[in-house]
Amino acid sequence: MADPAGLGRGPLTRRLPMLWQAPAQPPRADAFTIAPEAGSRRFLLSVMFSVKRFSIPALALGIAWQAGEALVPVVMGAAIDRALATGDWQRLLIWLAVLAAVFVMLSLGFRLATQLVEYATEIVQHRLRITLSREVLHADRSDAPRPDGGTVSLMTNDVARTAAIGLTMYPVAEFAGIIIIASTLLFVHWPLGLIVLAGVPAAVWLMGLLSGRLAQDSRKYQTLLAGTVGRASDLVSGYRVIKGIRADAEASRRYRLASRETLAGAYRNVGLLGRFLVGSNTVSGAFVGGVAALAAWFAVEGQITIGELIAAVGLAQALLPPMRMVAMNAVPAWANARASSARIFDALQGSHTSPRRSGRNGGRAVDVDSRLRLSVDGHRAIDLDCGEMIGVLATERTAASVIDVLLSPESSTINRGSYRARVTVSPHHATLFSGTVGQAFVPDHDPGTASDSVTEKSLLAKALHTAACDDFISSGEDADREIGEMGNRLSGGQRQRLALARALAAFPPVLVLHDPTTAVDSVTEQTIAGRLPAARAGRSTIVITASPPLLGVCDRIVDLREPTESQPTAEGPKDIQETEGADV
Amino acid sequence: MSESSDSETVTALPVAGGRQTWQTVWALSRGRRLVFLSVTVLGVASAAVGLVTPAVIGGLVDRIHTGAATSSTVGIALVALILAAFLGALGTAATVVLAARAYHAMLADLRESLVEQAMSVPQNVIERAGTGDLISRTSDDVSQIADAAPQIIPTFTTVVFTIIVTFAGLTALDPWYGLIVVAVLPVYVFTLRWYLAIGPRVYRSERAAMSRRAQQITESQRGYDTVVGLGLTRQRHDTVVNTSWEVVEHSLRARTVQNMFFGRLNLAEYLGLAVLLVIGFILIGDGSSTIGATTTAMLLFLRLFGPINQLLIVVDTLQSVLASLSRMIGVLTIPQSGSPHTCRPSEPRPADGLARPAHEDTALCERTVRLEGVMFSYDGREPALSDIDLDIETGEHIAVIGASGAGKSTLAAVIAGIHSPDSGRLVCPRGTALVTQEMHVFAGTLRENLTLANPEAGDEKLRAALVSAGAEGLVDLLPEGLDTEVGAGGRILTPAQSQQLALARIMVLDPELVILDEAAAEAGSAQAGLLDQAAAETLRGRTGMVIAHRLSQASVCDRIIVMEGGRIVETGTPDQLREAGGVYARLWSAWVEAQAFTPGAGPHISRNSHRPR
Repeated sequence: MADPAGLGRGPLTRRLPMLWQAPAQPPRADAFTIAPEAGSRRFLLSVMFSVKRFSIPALALGIAWQAGEALVPVVMGAAIDRALATGDWQRLLIWLAVLAAVFVMLSLGFRLATQLVEYATEIVQHRLRITLSREVLHADRSDAPRPDGGTVSLMTNDVARTAAIGLTMYPVAEFAGIIIIASTLLFVHWPLGLIVLAGVPAAVWLMGLLSGRLAQDSRKYQTLLAGTVGRASDLVSGYRVIKGIRADAEASRRYRLASRETLAGAYRNVGLLGRFLVGSNTVSGAFVGGVAALAAWFAVEGQITIGELIAAVGLAQALLPPMRMVAMNAVPAWANARASSARIFDALQGSHTSPRRSGRNGGRAVDVDSRLRLSVDGHRAIDLDCGEMIGVLATERTAASVIDVLLSPESSTINRGSYRARVTVSPHHATLFSGTVGQAFVPDHDPGTASDSVTEKSLLAKALHTAACDDFISSGEDADREIGEMGNRLSGGQRQRLALARALAAFPPVLVLHDPTTAVDSVTEQTIAGRLPAARAGRSTIVITASPPLLGVCDRIVDLREPTESQPTAEGPKDIQETEGADV
Repeated sequence: MSESSDSETVTALPVAGGRQTWQTVWALSRGRRLVFLSVTVLGVASAAVGLVTPAVIGGLVDRIHTGAATSSTVGIALVALILAAFLGALGTAATVVLAARAYHAMLADLRESLVEQAMSVPQNVIERAGTGDLISRTSDDVSQIADAAPQIIPTFTTVVFTIIVTFAGLTALDPWYGLIVVAVLPVYVFTLRWYLAIGPRVYRSERAAMSRRAQQITESQRGYDTVVGLGLTRQRHDTVVNTSWEVVEHSLRARTVQNMFFGRLNLAEYLGLAVLLVIGFILIGDGSSTIGATTTAMLLFLRLFGPINQLLIVVDTLQSVLASLSRMIGVLTIPQSGSPHTCRPSEPRPADGLARPAHEDTALCERTVRLEGVMFSYDGREPALSDIDLDIETGEHIAVIGASGAGKSTLAAVIAGIHSPDSGRLVCPRGTALVTQEMHVFAGTLRENLTLANPEAGDEKLRAALVSAGAEGLVDLLPEGLDTEVGAGGRILTPAQSQQLALARIMVLDPELVILDEAAAEAGSAQAGLLDQAAAETLRGRTGMVIAHRLSQASVCDRIIVMEGGRIVETGTPDQLREAGGVYARLWSAWVEAQAFTPGAGPHISRNSHRPR
């Protein structure tokens, strides 16, 4: 295997080891533990310094890289002075070798340092994502808040900014580079070095000031642009609606307005960019010019040699890149890391301390020995017997509370693990996850119910038949068909039927279905209703629906459309708490 | 890309070829060509000013070397250096600003015509390609080009000129320095070719892995209830962790490729400097050059490192910009449907030259819709509709029922003028509105969502429309009334509320013919009654066609048609069809039987003991 990663390595380099590539299997990465009293700043620092075994060598290599960059003009100046001015061939060869050595040092230093930093950054990002996935996105605890839309940005953008391992290398190495250059100048001529050393912070500060306003406005412009782009995808997503009411001209007009506003924002941003360019280029040009003139004056005075003058000018020019980097990268990166890490810190903390879900859902679900007792505030409790199928009629609001109660049962009395293994809830508009048809099915259901693959397969086939999926999933090949993001390659009806099949295939002791057939036509709905009882024979089922065909096949129907006067019974939890352990 | 396995159903939108792309860009630049000319002139001028600094310093070195320099020489040099810095900065800034303004203005023109085109492309073209493709071209590709601006513009306005002018300066210093180019150019060319073969692919797969990761996170977040309800937390966590790790692999590989790239650039830099020293050595040795000139050459060459690296890196970005451009321009090349996509009452739409002027049709004043032998096919092979003959009288309400795939929605779309029939005759009114089961709430205020149908409608009318749609409570429920932001980024409405909004939009539009295509379908069944009522209100006083989901909707219409396999198999009043003993009759009796188990209003628990288990 000459080039397994497809990196296009040549015949000379392909035998060299590839350093710090990702292992095929994710390494065991522990979640970050978070000390609430520490504060977000301490959290960020602990993240940044969590991989010292990578970041310390990276810093050493980074300093070598910056030192090399600083040395190039020095070596060039010396070569011109010592070899070219003297016309000595041997000296020229020596200086060419020295220059080569410097280039090897800076090139390797850079490559190894950046690869190490990237490796460390990726590992830390991965750890942060595992932490957030477990604590925020997939927290199945009664005290965890529901993840909101911000979670996505939290787990992508904020994680990327918080894993600021680069900040422990780049600015430090660049600062080291500045120090090296300045001390070289000190060595050449100490007043010159001192003046440069004093001038650097001033120039960095000025450039930072200039870039700050531009960066601020760029963020504003980015928001505007994102708004326009978002509007386009919003309009195109809803284009069937637009066509249905012939609003294409109006939709285009609205987009044009948004687009023009963004264009105005772009003009403003470009104007600020222009001002920034004038400012920062003048500052850096004047800096180099000032140092050159100063060095020239010392040379005229005879205090430094020509070689030293050339080196001084080269060094002053070499100072610019690290100065720009510190001013324009490190400062905003630190600000971003602070803001992002604070958001992650809050989310991780909030997952432990925010108001409990069960506090607002107003009811409880208790499950013991195949009997589920479900009570929602203001309504009579529902007892589901083993093997029973109950139809529940409820208003939208009550149905939502029922689902909420079922999703988040009383925390203190229920062993969540055993409850989840027994009670499966398929909400209305159940989400299908991207992948193939086959992957849509839950692979690891209760080991007690279907351990061997034969049972599993027949369960699957039965579930697909019950949910009337035969028209679009007929053969084994269909299992490999991609269903698209959130099932968007399927029609609404197909999505709903596949979601129903998924819930049925899990074959849980207790299954709760909420409006499983609203997107299905009436003919198919009757077919499904006819097949449902056989598919759930011997197991308990609740169907929240107002569909006559579905209600028609239920053993009994509970009407929750109007509240009862009696408050929910407070009995039960205590005895259940005691027997619950035996149940598992 | 690799996912499009079902190629027989997906026909991607066209992508413009290189020539067409350039022609469109050239056309877009109309009226801005003078700007581009000034950008070129200014760019060359400011790059030339950039040569002053090394030249002045080189001159200074020579004078000091020969002992001709005094402190006043140094003073003059300082003034020249600062002046050059300021003038160069000013010129660079002006170049960049001019170019960037033109770039953004052209992009704005392009994206606007793109969205306009997206709204008027025949719907079946989009349906075949999938909306995802069009969405990505109107959003992702636009962002791609906009985001590339800060990289592309300075590179192609100042960096390129700097490189050219600097090399010219080097050669002017002494033609022999031109040999540096001979030494470094092959390395740069080789590196670039290598990079273009590897880099874009590696970055693309990195970005693809990132978007898969974001997608999985989004799905877990949006499907939280499903995740918890079906006990999928472990499985989803593992999926997210795996996609996260996939990104790690791709990112590290991408960084390696980038590092190899920079390594090769370092090699070119070393070669250039070494050649420069050797040339300087020879030239100084034979007395044809000075130490100062060599210093100038060295400073010039050192200043080139940054710009050359930038130029090479930007080639990659430029490639993705061109790819995005050709995808966007490809949409512009889709021909708009030959026949108008809205049909007018004055001119019955001829589909195959069988047109007769409308006024010959004496019955037209009573019949809002007439279809004669209409055929339609999505792919030109399998007909989705065949031999459809249908008259709908003004004010009549008809219901269409049938299983999935029977052609109900296609019929609705044809009557609504969204698809043109392949053959047959179609007459329909100008004012037609179609409400599908897709309940898109547009991002914006509630008012904006309603006025989409009619920009002139006042608040009075909007409120009345909401009341008719049964959503009178909605305005009071929302914190800022009609000004509340809804849809993506705003308040998320429930399915029932979204449906009411869709119906209210129709009220605002006030069309002659309303087609409701399973319009109340996705709402929770608890809301069905409410929505049926709202739908009935929408149809009041108009001609209506209802693609019914529930038989309760169909049974109150004047006439029902039953469809199967793209044909009308039964038609008649609900009573007639119940008697007829066909498909409808069977459905109806099953429905009635089921209905018997549904308890009436009031809190009681009923048991139907007779059902066998």
